[in-house]
Parts: sequence; C-alpha cells; structure tokens
Amino acid sequence: MMHRRNFLSGMNTTLAGVALNSLLQQDELSAAHAAPSGIPHFRPRAKSVIWLFMRGGVSHLESFDSKPMVTRHAGKSIDETAWKGVQNPERLKKVRVVVVNDANGQQRNKLYPLQVGFKKYGQCGMEVSDWFPHVGACADEIALVRSMWTTDDNHGAQIQFHSGRHMLDERVPTLGAWVNYGLGSLNDNLPQFINMGPRYFDVRDGHYLGPAYDAVPLKVDPTNPLPYAQSESNRSREEQRIEFDLIHRLNTLRGEAKYQDDAALQARIKTYALAFRMQTAVPEVIQFADETATTQQMYGLDNPQTKPFGMQLLAARRFVERGTRFIQIMHGEGAAGAWDSHTNLKANHSKLAAQVDKPISGLLKDLKHRGLLDETIVLFATEFGRTPGSQRGNGRDHHPYGFSIWMAGGGIRGGTVHGATDEIGFHAEEHPHYVTDVHATLVKLMGLDARRLEVPGHKRMEIDFGEPIQEIIA
Amino acid sequence: MCGAIAVGLLLSSVANAADPVDYELDVRPVLKKRCYACHGALKQEAGLRLDTATFVRQGGESGTIVTPGDPAGLLIDRVSSREEEERMPPEGEPLTDQQIRLLKAWIEQGASGPQGEQAEEDPRHHWAFQPPVKEKVSSSANPVDVLLEASRKQHGIQTVSSVDKRLLLRRVYLDLIGLPPTRDELHDFLSDQSADAYESVVERLLESPQYGERWGRHWMDIWRYTDWYGLGPQLRNSQKHIWHWRDWIIESLNEDKGYDRMVQEMLAADEIAPTVPDTLRASGFLARNYYLFNRTTWLDNTIEHTCKAFLGLTMNCCKCHDHKYDPLSQEDYYRLRAVFEPHQVRLDQVAGQADLEKDGLPRAFDAHPGAITYFHLRGNAKNPDKSREIQPGVPEIIAWEEWSATPVDLPLESYRPEVRSFVLEDQLRLAEERITQAELQVEAARQESSDSSGSPDATPFALLLAEKKLATARLRPDTLRAAHAADLAEREQSPDQDVLQRRAAKTARRFELAEAEEALVLAEQSLSTAADTERAKKKFQAAQEKVASAGQAMKTPGVGYTRLRASLKALEGPAETDESRYQPYPAVSTGRRTALARWITSRKNPLTARVAVNHIWLRHFGQALVDPVIDFGRRTKTPLQQKLLDWLAVDFMEHGWRMKHLHRLLVTSQTYCLETSTMEADSNSVERDPDNDHYWRRRPIRMESQVVRDSLLHLAGLLDLTLGGPTIDPQIESTDYRRSLYFTCSRDDKHKFLSIFDDVDILRCYRRQESILPQQALALANSQLGYNAARQIASRIHSTERDQFIAAVFETVLCVDPTEEEIEACRQALAETRSSLKKIEAGEAERRARENLVHALLNHNDFITIR
Repeated sequence: MMHRRNFLSGMNTTLAGVALNSLLQQDELSAAHAAPSGIPHFRPRAKSVIWLFMRGGVSHLESFDSKPMVTRHAGKSIDETAWKGVQNPERLKKVRVVVVNDANGQQRNKLYPLQVGFKKYGQCGMEVSDWFPHVGACADEIALVRSMWTTDDNHGAQIQFHSGRHMLDERVPTLGAWVNYGLGSLNDNLPQFINMGPRYFDVRDGHYLGPAYDAVPLKVDPTNPLPYAQSESNRSREEQRIEFDLIHRLNTLRGEAKYQDDAALQARIKTYALAFRMQTAVPEVIQFADETATTQQMYGLDNPQTKPFGMQLLAARRFVERGTRFIQIMHGEGAAGAWDSHTNLKANHSKLAAQVDKPISGLLKDLKHRGLLDETIVLFATEFGRTPGSQRGNGRDHHPYGFSIWMAGGGIRGGTVHGATDEIGFHAEEHPHYVTDVHATLVKLMGLDARRLEVPGHKRMEIDFGEPIQEIIA
Repeated sequence: MCGAIAVGLLLSSVANAADPVDYELDVRPVLKKRCYACHGALKQEAGLRLDTATFVRQGGESGTIVTPGDPAGLLIDRVSSREEEERMPPEGEPLTDQQIRLLKAWIEQGASGPQGEQAEEDPRHHWAFQPPVKEKVSSSANPVDVLLEASRKQHGIQTVSSVDKRLLLRRVYLDLIGLPPTRDELHDFLSDQSADAYESVVERLLESPQYGERWGRHWMDIWRYTDWYGLGPQLRNSQKHIWHWRDWIIESLNEDKGYDRMVQEMLAADEIAPTVPDTLRASGFLARNYYLFNRTTWLDNTIEHTCKAFLGLTMNCCKCHDHKYDPLSQEDYYRLRAVFEPHQVRLDQVAGQADLEKDGLPRAFDAHPGAITYFHLRGNAKNPDKSREIQPGVPEIIAWEEWSATPVDLPLESYRPEVRSFVLEDQLRLAEERITQAELQVEAARQESSDSSGSPDATPFALLLAEKKLATARLRPDTLRAAHAADLAEREQSPDQDVLQRRAAKTARRFELAEAEEALVLAEQSLSTAADTERAKKKFQAAQEKVASAGQAMKTPGVGYTRLRASLKALEGPAETDESRYQPYPAVSTGRRTALARWITSRKNPLTARVAVNHIWLRHFGQALVDPVIDFGRRTKTPLQQKLLDWLAVDFMEHGWRMKHLHRLLVTSQTYCLETSTMEADSNSVERDPDNDHYWRRRPIRMESQVVRDSLLHLAGLLDLTLGGPTIDPQIESTDYRRSLYFTCSRDDKHKFLSIFDDVDILRCYRRQESILPQQALALANSQLGYNAARQIASRIHSTERDQFIAAVFETVLCVDPTEEEIEACRQALAETRSSLKKIEAGEAERRARENLVHALLNHNDFITIR
C-alpha cells in the first residue's frame, strides 16, 4: 500500500501520459495498469458509507413493501388468484439453485397474510411497517427501492449482495474493498474499512485486490477492539513508547547506513508510527464518554434491546467523523442470519426490527444534526426478501425475485420511492434492479468510475458494474 | 479525469479528414486491441487479417473491405452497423464514434501503413511453445552467473558486492528450511575456514526434514491446499483428512522425488500406483477441488489450476470461446474436461482406524469411465451440444504426437478396498468399541431414569433407545464376520460359499431388523414432539412398515448380504442417494489422467520444466524470470533472461527433475549471494536497471506468514519439530508450538496471527503478497507470541555485561553485529526503561528492560525481512 503511494507521488504529474499510454496499449499488462491514485474520478457527493446489512433475509412484505392483496387473498394458492403468472417457470429461471432439494428456498404457494400494519410517513407519504416506526419517521431522508432482485435463493446471496457475484461463480472483491482500493483513507490513524457484527461465511473482501483490502474486524470493546490493538502483556504505555522509539531509531539507523533506497523499510517505519497511534485512536473512537446522554438515547444505548446495535452505529458515526471510508455493519447472528424467518416470522421480525429501528433513526438524525449526512451514505439492505406464501404455517421462505433496500445521505434524493413489485410482492416489476445497481449508485456518489479500477488479469463482467439508480440520486 | 480529457483533445485534433492520420498511433492500436484476436495471426475469420495495412487493403473471403480514398466500404459498414448481429467486433462495446472517424479518415487518406510493416508473429512460434535449449556454457563457473554476467556485460551493468557471511547464512537458512540459524550455528559457520563451508551448510539444510516443510508450504500455495469446509457439518469443499496429501508433499520433497513423478502421482496415483496408500495420498491434488454443489465449477477449477500450476497456461480463458491471445481453442478446453470427466473422489479406510470421521485417505478414482463430455455452447453447462461429443486430449498446439489413453485394469484391492487384510480386524475393533459405548449409554440412561421421579411403569424413551442401540451394536461384529467370510468364499470359489452366503444373509436380516426397530423408537418419539405432526405420522408409519417387512425377511433371509465397506465415495451433489453412492467401483480406470500427466511431464513439453523452474527461482530470488508465473502465453513477452531459464529447465530435466539439484545450483551461485544494499552500487546500473532484471543486486524478501511465526518460536527455543500428521486447531495457537503449516487452513479456519501477514489465499496463491500494514506492526508488537519469544530469547543469552548482551541480541535476532550507534541507542533505551520501572526491584527491572530490547529487535524491519 505504501508502495503504491510512493509510486504514485511520482506519477501524478504525468497522469495524462499514463492515461494515453493505457488507452493505446491495454493489452500490455505492465504498461497499462496504473493503480488508483486515491483521487476521485469526478466530483464526489459523499465521502463515507455506512453499510447496514440484515443477515438472513428481511421480509419486504413486513418492512417496506406493503401488499394488501396478500392479506386479502390470504389462504388462497397463488394459482387461484389473478397473479398465477408469477410462477411461470420462465420467470423463475434466473435463480440459480445452490442447495438442491433443500427444505428452504422453495416456492410457497399459499398466500400468508401480512403480519403487521403499515403507516404513511413524512411529506412523501412513504409506507413503512409498524415494526419500523423510527425509520419511518425519517422517510423524507430515505430513498426506498422496492424492486431489487438477485439470483441466489439461499444465503450465498449475502456474498452476492456484497460482491455482485453468485456463490457458484468466482469470488471477487466486495464493494467496500473496491471503494477503499479506489479512494484510500482520509485518516491513516484508523483502519480504512471496518466490519462490525457477524460475517457471512466468506470473510474476505479484498480477494484479488489483496489482504490490504479486507475489512478489519472491529468490536465495540475499548479494551480489545481490533486484533492485537492492545498489548497482550503487562507492559506499561511508557515502556511501549520507549520500545517504539527504539524500533524507530534502529530502523532509521540501519536504513541510513545501508538501505537508503529500500522503500519497504521506509514503509515499515511509517506503519510502526501509524500502529502506535492506532492503538490510541481506535479505542478513543469506540468509547462514548464524551457523547451526551441525549445522543446516547437517540441510538438506544439506554435500552438493552437496542444497545448492541446502537453502539455499533454510534461507533460508525464516530469513525465517519474521523474519515473512515467504509463501515460495514452486519446484524443477525447465526450461520444463515437471524432474520431468516422460516417459522414464527411475526415474533422473530418484530423482535429483530425492535433491535435496529431506533438506532438507525438515531444514526440518521445524528448525522444530519452534525452536518455529516450530506457526505455520508447510509444503506439498509438484506440478501433477499421473503415469499408471499407461507412456510410451515407461520413463516416465509427465501425470496430472491423481489425485495427492498433503502439509502439515505450524500447525493441521495430523500423521500423517494422507486420501483415496485407486483401486487403480491413477488417479482420486481417496475424498474427492476440487480444488486450491483446499488454498488454502481454508491460508487458513482463516491466519485469513482468502477471501470477505471479494473485490475489486469481480472476482467470484470458487465453485470459486475451495474447501472446507477438515477431516480434516487439528487 | 484530466487524463481522459487530454486524450480526447489529442485525438480530436487529428480527427478532421484533412489532418493526416497516424496509422501507428491512431489506427493500429484499435485494430490490435479489438480485431487481431479473430483477424490476425491467431485466427483468420472469413479469411481476413487486419494485422498490417497491406492485409487490410487485401480484404478477405468477401472481397475487399476498404477502397483507399473512399471512406465507404465493408470495414466501415461492419464496425458502424446498428444491427448487433452485423456489428464488429461481435463482443464488447462497439468502437467509439471517434475511433470510427479516425478509421474513415485513414482509409480516405489511402489506408497505408509503414514500409515493411511486420505482421503478427505466428502464434505457434511464441517463445514458450518452442522447446527450451541448453546453451553451452564454456566456463567452469556456475552457469547462473555465467549466463547472467553475459547479459549484464551486454547492457553495461555491474553487480554489487557479496553479502557478508552472517547475512548469507541467515538468508540461506530461511530460504531452504524457513528457520533462522541459531547463534551456535552462526558461530560454527563463521569459524569454519574450509573452502566449502557454505556448500556444506547448503547440503545439511537440504538434507534436513525442515526443508520439506519449508518448500512443501510453497508448493501447497501453488497447488491450492485447503482443508475441508462447508456449512456446519456439511462438507462442501475439499475433503476430510486431506493433510495426507500435505504429508506426501513434504515427504516427496525430502526424498527428492522427481518433479515429473510428483506431477504424475498427483494427477494419476490411482492408476499408476493403485495399491500403494502412500502414493495415493498424492491425488489429494484432485480431491482438493471437490465441490458438492456443482460439478462444472469443480472441473473448471481442476482444469484451470492444473494448467496454470503445471503449464503456465490460462486455459480458463477458453471455456466460453477460443482463447483471445493463445492458440488454444474452446474445443481444447473440453478435451481437457473429458480427461477429468470420469473421476470422482472417495475416502478409503486406512490401516489402524476404521472410523472414517477420524481418519481416512481422500483420493481420486475413475467412478464413471463411460461419462461423456459434450461441448458446452458458450461455456454454458446448461447448454451442452449433444451432437458434439468431445474426446479426451490435450491442446492441439502443443500436442507432438497422437494423444492416447490406455485403460488400466485395476487390482482387486483398488476397486474393492474392503478386501485388504486389515479391514475386517479394524472394523471389528471399532464395532467392539461401539458396543462398549452403547453399554455405557444404557447404564447412563438407566441411572437417569432411576434418579428422576417419572412414572415407574413406562420405560423412559432415552433408555429404550439406548437399549435398542446396544442391541444393534451387539449384532454388528457377527454381521461383519459373516459378510466377510461369505465374500471371501465367493472370491476363492470355496465349496462352502453357498452355506456361508446363506449364513451372511441371515445375519444381515437380523441386523436390519434391529436397525429398523431402533428407527421405530426414534420415529415414535418424534411423533410426540415434532412440530409438523403430519410428517412425523407418516414417518412413524413408514418405520412400522419397515419393521414389519424386516421381520418378514427374517423368515426368508435369501442369499443377499451387504459386503464390508472400506471406502466412502464423496457425494456427487447434495441430492445423491445412498443407493448410487454405494455402487461398486469400476474395475477399470480410463488411463486418461495418466496420459495427461505423461504428456505434461514429457521432456518434449516446452512448458512444464520452464514453469517449475520459474516457480523455484521466484522463491529463491524474490522475483521471477517470467512474470506472471501463471501465464507463459503470448501476452507474456520473451523473458529477458530466457537463455538462463531455458538452460535451467533443460538441466532440471536432465537431472531427473530433482529439485534439490536445482536448489543447490541456485543458492551456490554468486548471484544468490549478492548484497541487498545498493549504497555502493554502480550508479549506471541503478539507473539502467531499476527493476533488477539483470540480477545485479539481491531483492529483499518479506518473510511469509508461516516463517514469521516459526522463526519467533525457533529463536525462542520453543518450536516443536514433530513432522506431519493431522491438522491443529488454529484457535490454540498459544499452546501449540508445531510449525505453522500444520494448522488447519481453510476458508473458515484461519490462524489469527498468520492471517495478518498475507497468509495463503486458498483459492489462488501462485505468489504471496508482501503487504506492509500497521496491523502487522500491532501483531508483532502486541501479541503474546512476540512477548513470549522475547522472554525466552532474553533468558537464553547468558551475557551479563550490557554491551555484550546487546551484541548477542543483534546476533540472535538479526544475525548481524550492531554498530556503535545502534549499541548506544540500545543502551539509552535500556536505561530509559529501567527508570520507567522504578517501582520494580533493580535486577528485575534490568531483566524486563532486556526483554523489551529483544522484543524491539523482533519488531525490527530486518527481522521480518530476508536480506
């Protein structure tokens, strides 16, 4: 990483020359690839992303996509209704099954009534379910997309939402890795790409971009927030300072005496300085003593139910304030993710929504209050929706054909509802968007041209890039 | 952005028809990038080539495509067509308006190119497709030096001086065995005045078992070693006990088995050594690619990485269409698929452990010799062209003779592993162990039921089940014995075979009844607890019927019985049933993989030895002769040091593909012994060859993750050098001091410390990354591992005198003598630390200050760097 910076500092002056060169010789690997400079390709609308991901599959029907027809025709088989065409095999074709004959990921035919009511919120009149009243209250900040689709009917769709690729395809970098690769950091004392909460089973983000672009796992625990952030011995701070000074001195001496042009040595010296500062900087970010009681309450820190997620969101705001680019927060424990409500959807979703609803609204309000919402994008997403039909009498199955996500913040047109599923919430019908359209939107708002980040030897497919969702961009 | 604008301006400035168009600058690059793949030296679709201006004017089968002076014409029509079917190029974005304008202007201006314009080279003449030639080296010096020196001389480049003996020793130790020398070893070397002191160190290291571990880890990277992973208990990738393959790699390297033989065994051990378990371990190479969900993904990985690892070919590029750069066709891809199509993987029982969960040998075998390979239209497995059956074979471009596979008749032991002598005995022992366990469970259940104050009449469910299980377990040994006897009699055509068969059948029926009764108890229980009562009811009824029919079968046991099973085929997809899983294995193997392996390792193959030598060179020198190491195709230009590469490749083959010979040759070269410092370097060389393409200096190498941890433990005297065996849980890092390559390593199992230092990427790792991150500083500076090592190292240095201690630490950790300034810096740090520890007793404070000093040196750049 340091290499790249050094390499580039000599490069900026001849950027035009490099671009021309690469245009002419793109088949010649070595000549063509200029690693990104960290300078956006065009004017950014946002500097940071807070990526909230609900693991397991949030029911769009009980969160952001009200479908009264499902309730009206509850108990009927889909084939007995006016929408029997939705299960036409042609229309189900794009899903690629991973787990053959799995008990889950099946079509559920008997319509299951909505388990919660909806209300209209804000000037825009966005309909949001009664399990998300606080988020609803922020409707005028939110651009809701009700027409997402994906192609994995199992939880590999989590990988797909982050990387754009189906689980059976090659593993490629996730969006957070791309953003960091393209933009680098605004604060070298802090990790640039953070993950909080339980990961899905592929824990790598960087893949071919390299481990430097993997998210750094962080816990909101000031005593042990990052791997090895605190000394595993009883050394005092002072002893450690003396030691770091000595390391610096010895590296410098040897460098001066023998290895003046060794870029790696210079980089190593710098990383020790950073590491020493990071040890203080990171715990400082995740302790909330200087946050007012009101702020803490906004995030729900006063309530054991909302506290864990609220602490992660408050930490996220503090990281954003200090320049971290991408904060990925995963909600929902378990291998598949807690939102995976094959049974007891009502009990499950109402409980989980209560854990996240207030903290999310707190985050949006707090960001806005501090003038940070203009430069931060908050995304609320999940891997897929849930079937309009019932599973085991009181649950819903995985549903990749249509689901909802929303965004708020820098460059986002608040109070927008974009796209729609059909009347039973089955297919994304109006303005359907594949998951990489979300990536394209974020990347554009961050000022990057994803095509210019491509790495030789790792050709990206057209679908990897997606199309920005213009209608939700302010 | 400014770059793109600049380019736009530049191009538009010549876009007026009146301005002369520069063919070299504005036309050729576009044709090269977008058209040559199909209309160049590689292919001439429609009889058309576009790789010189003359060819463009010549046209193809449909006549001329340009008329000089006239911007209309077929070329412009096709590139600017609005019909997608019509438009060229057929793939990717259409040409831009700007590019089309330039093309038009060029045609209008005469469509001319430079005098004597060279057409693209015939792809078959690409350097890497020609057999390597060993140039005669007249000098008696090391050929590595002779050949490099010739190239240096030609370019006016001078080497730096040799590194001092101390750093050389550290370098060669870390390079060959992955561990630094101890102080004693350093002193021995420094005091050895004999002429071959260095050579004898090299010999000793190559003979050390740690050599196999160090280089085994390199090859595990390249061959994509991973332990199994999946979701929960469901195995989805690789195989259990795949560490047997890792042990085979280490042992093969230590015994200096030829690389050719290693490749053959990895691809086809089941055909060339079907009854030798030690050799069969090699086919872990294939078993590693196992993927539960998708056979095409599995075979794609096998093809891609077999070709990348052994041949340096990016065969994966021609899965969906012919290769864009190399003379490899989509048909070639499916030829290779046909080679692998019949194979599957299975787990064989190993001597001493009948429980396949605890141990077993994962290995490849041809399960479907008759499997047909179809050409997949556009590489889509859902769209096979049933009219195009593809025969196994190798890429035509490097096939030097008719390729043919000879089917192999397998010995009985191979396709019926249960006939091996140890199987019955081991299974009986396991059966006895299970009886004991079942007895204990009955005992425990009984205890529980008498403790609890339940109703005294009904036997509690747990006890009932335990008793049934015990009953089944008790029948197991007899069932095994009877089945074994009957099978043996049948094989030996013994006169008793009928009697024995009937006896086996009777035992089998009794066992089946017991199993059915056990299942019934379970079904009965879930009847009262299951959420889905409908389903539970059905299951219960089915279980009842099964008991009834098993009871019936007891009356007419017949002659059928289940043979012993000493092998378990991996599931071919999550839906595979037991019935197909337990099919007998075929007695014949297709021989296809053997034929492929022989072709790969033939002396006539121009790629294999070069690719292997390049991998080995990369790891000794920190830079490759051919880069990228996985692509020797046309995108990779003739390497600057081709003579050297070829000399080494031929020499490697001439010496039986033995790696130790090659290691010895490389590490005893002058070039290997050069200094990494460039402070004294000839300024001309620095300027002319900053990338060190002439190897005029030594490139410093960052230790790989495993070397970092192993070195810390080794210097601390803690490293446990036990070789091989099952993997170790990476969560117990603080208490297990085995070498790092023995930790379980998969997508889900990562060692926290190792993962911070660019640990292996199990999906592709042809070259480790060398990132420099603050998290690495934190790991070295804060981990228990580092402090622990520092404490041990400090306690092992017995000098009480301060400066001596400082010198000893430098020598131990970095293998160098400290300078006066360095000593002074250390003295100051020691003093400062002591004064910060005023509350502690003076002796103790000194001890602690010294530990901190050692710890600082473990964090020194030149600890983690191989100079």
